[in-house]
Amino acid sequence: MAFAPLDPVLHNQLRLAVVSLLVGVESADFNYLLAHTGATRGNLSVQLNRLKAAGYINVKKTFRENYPNTSCSLTRKGLKAFETYVEVIKGYLDT
Amino acid sequence: MDQEMTPAQSMEVIHRMIVEAKQSAQRSNYYFLLWGMLFALAGLVDHVLHQQGITLHWLVWPAMGIIGTVGSSVHGAREGRRQGVMTMMDRVQMWLWIAFTVVLVLMIVLLVAKGLDPNPFVLVLTGMPTFITGMLMRFRPLMIGGLLFWVIGLTSAFVLPGYSSLIFSAGIVVGYIIPGLMLKRHEDGLRTT
Repeated sequence: MAFAPLDPVLHNQLRLAVVSLLVGVESADFNYLLAHTGATRGNLSVQLNRLKAAGYINVKKTFRENYPNTSCSLTRKGLKAFETYVEVIKGYLDT
Repeated sequence: MDQEMTPAQSMEVIHRMIVEAKQSAQRSNYYFLLWGMLFALAGLVDHVLHQQGITLHWLVWPAMGIIGTVGSSVHGAREGRRQGVMTMMDRVQMWLWIAFTVVLVLMIVLLVAKGLDPNPFVLVLTGMPTFITGMLMRFRPLMIGGLLFWVIGLTSAFVLPGYSSLIFSAGIVVGYIIPGLMLKRHEDGLRTT
């Protein structure tokens, strides 16, 4: 039996963790994602750029009390990709 | 956190992160306790000043309103920074209470202009966001607090009208302060688990 291919953008622990966090919230800032994923700043930054390039997340850079603040939220495309990924994973686990 | 994953590991990551996001719910007890204490005090002070024949007794209400607004805004901004996350529930609750405040102020202005005692109306209106917040948070003491606001608001319009400020204070104690204290204990428990 042939398995549906997994989305390579989401099939990465850190990117999947970020998208799974964003599914449950309206928006989350960089430090929140850092604290909850346990990633390094550099790696998180790279993976956020990958997700943004795929159109899965919106990244808004602002200043909060003179410090840069990066806020991320899931796009409709990102949510759809996540739902599809979960369905495919379920298919793998059910067989 | 960059290696290949098995399907089971993928599901484990998804599950763990969704649980993490759920645990980041905003703490609301501060607002109930702050506004509860300010307005319970306002009711008492208003009653005493009114009994003593001081005509500007009503000034205690806007004074407490200003203190509450400043306190809530500062705390909300600080909590937002600390939390670093906004959930749909946070947004719904924020706009529910902002809309309530607008209606509250407009209603008080209209009632006073028409020469009516606003206290029973304020209690009845306050029951609505309190009850809805209790329902959204699935926190029964707040739902009961909302129901008590409705009952006390309705009865205060007909019973002891000269004591409406004191009854208002009692309504705030059972509708805000007691559920607020229970919510604080509940939220402190969530934080330590």
